[in-house]
Amino acid sequence: MEGNILDAMRYVGAGLAMIGAAGAGVGIGLSVQGALTGMARNPDTYGNLLTNMILGIAFSEAIAIYCLVIAFLMLFQVV
Amino acid sequence: MEALGINLGLLIVQIIAFIIVFLTLNAWVYKPMLDMMETRKQKIAQGLEDARVAAEARANAEKEAAKIIADAQAEASKVIREATERAAAAGKEVKAAAEAEAAKAREAALAEIELERARILGDLRGQIASLAIAAANKLVGEALDEKKQRALLDEFFSGVKAGKVVVVEGEFQGETAEVTSALPLTGEEQEAVKKSFKAKEVTFKVNPAILGGLVVKIGDKVLDGSVAGKLEGLRHSLK
Amino acid sequence: MEQVKHRPWRRWVLLGLLIVGYILGGRFVPVQPEITVAPEKLIEEPLFTLPVIGDFYLVNTMPTLILTVILLMIFAYAVNRSLKKSAQTDLVPRGIGNATEAILEVIYNMTEGAAGKWVRTVFPWFATIMIYVLFANLLKLLPGFESIGVLHHVAPGHEGHAKELLAGNWYLFTAEEGEYILAPFFRGISVDLNFTFALALIAVVAVQVVGFRAQGIGYLSKFFNTRRMFNVPFFGAMDFLVGLLELISEISKILSFAFRLFGNMFAGIVLVAIVAGLLGKFSILPAMVMMFELFVGIIQAFVFGMLTMVFMAQATQGHGEEHAEH
Repeated sequence: MEGNILDAMRYVGAGLAMIGAAGAGVGIGLSVQGALTGMARNPDTYGNLLTNMILGIAFSEAIAIYCLVIAFLMLFQVV
Repeated sequence: MEALGINLGLLIVQIIAFIIVFLTLNAWVYKPMLDMMETRKQKIAQGLEDARVAAEARANAEKEAAKIIADAQAEASKVIREATERAAAAGKEVKAAAEAEAAKAREAALAEIELERARILGDLRGQIASLAIAAANKLVGEALDEKKQRALLDEFFSGVKAGKVVVVEGEFQGETAEVTSALPLTGEEQEAVKKSFKAKEVTFKVNPAILGGLVVKIGDKVLDGSVAGKLEGLRHSLK
Repeated sequence: MEQVKHRPWRRWVLLGLLIVGYILGGRFVPVQPEITVAPEKLIEEPLFTLPVIGDFYLVNTMPTLILTVILLMIFAYAVNRSLKKSAQTDLVPRGIGNATEAILEVIYNMTEGAAGKWVRTVFPWFATIMIYVLFANLLKLLPGFESIGVLHHVAPGHEGHAKELLAGNWYLFTAEEGEYILAPFFRGISVDLNFTFALALIAVVAVQVVGFRAQGIGYLSKFFNTRRMFNVPFFGAMDFLVGLLELISEISKILSFAFRLFGNMFAGIVLVAIVAGLLGKFSILPAMVMMFELFVGIIQAFVFGMLTMVFMAQATQGHGEEHAEH
């Protein structure tokens, strides 16, 4: 066991930052759930719902991506 | 930024690469494809329009055709009806003509037959008269020649005319009269008999057995003016 | 129902491939490569240095970029010839032209539904980004990528691997400790932040350009909203702040575009590398992970293009003007 405490904290920090991805996962799941329910009830709206669902997923995913960016910043000592 | 690998030079290279790709795809793929889609859409719209016009034209033609057919049918039925009527009239005419012809032919045939019959009877008359006289000769022993026969008949008729032979009015009345003579009566004689008896139908019979004279039977009365009757009466008186 | 054709030889081919994979995996044991976010430099020294821009290195995404662009040009030329041939005959596309048109027509209809009369402006962006990212994502999965390259001496303080002579000037990278590190010739361009950032920048800038073309100078009122400032001061100030937030969200769009694609693709190669390194001899199994990568690559390509299209469609319809029209 050798190495410095700063490296260890970097890895721990990156891991903690990625916890935020859980929220994005819940958000994506909820939006897909809503869209699929809507499609099942009214299959005619399939195309419209799909477009909006992908948009919603992209916005939820952006949160996870911010987490990823922070994790990268920590891992690779950018700042 | 160095750790993330972001490098301004590389970024610019990537941007240039994207612009190259964009221009290439735009010129070689999207423009021809969208043009083709547009052309195809127009062509399809044109085709649909053509089809609509054609369908309209066809509907019109069908209507026209239906009208023509209806007219033709009406004409045909009219012609058929007229023809039928004419044919029926012609048939009736022909039938009537045929019937008339047939009736005429039948009448002619009947007349001929009657004539023939009369002629044959006339021919037979002489023979029968001589036979009857021969028979009477045998029976009576007295020669009854034809002249005598005629005389007998004349006598009978003259008796009728003179009232010797009484024709009782009312007694000699009936629907049918039957006159029996030994010799066939001539037309003149028949007329005379008919005049004497007021009967509607008079039938003439020839029976040589009565030898001479006439036997007239009207209804259920018999007027016996025959030689055989007289002979019978003679036989009764001789007994 | 259709009679299913039995082709038993296919199963034997699959089984044979599995056996060959197992034997090769036993001979050439996969090594977990050094995972770096930055593309590896093929030559340590910069190629040339420009005054403002700085150093220019030959990194391993450059060969892939050239390969991708050449392949895309060949593809575009083939489609062009196919389309021209069908345009001259009967307007019925065949072969590659038909396949491309089938996909692009779906995209076109989607764009028409969202952007209306601006479809001819928005559609090329959507389609180009989608096709380009799709090519980049799928090329990354080819064998030879991330596995053949030049050996560099390891930087001090990092783990290296030993090399084993294969033939002539070619060496095999082994799992043992050593002083070498691999810089592959080819690395998928979508696993390069330069590519994703370039695309994100172009997309966001193009969105603004489309917005200005559609609404003129009035497009700026989306960011500097002073419409109600003098009538209702409080809500007007709120609107102004919301407008500034819009400006920030445009910048965050660049980040989100770039890191969405990069994150997904980078996660893909990390997953494949780690699974292969863990399984060792049974390295035939990551084929399943590759299949998942194929799916993710297609989805991300579609999402990138779709989001660009939706943002462009939104930019063509201003907030204030939309209500005024009704």
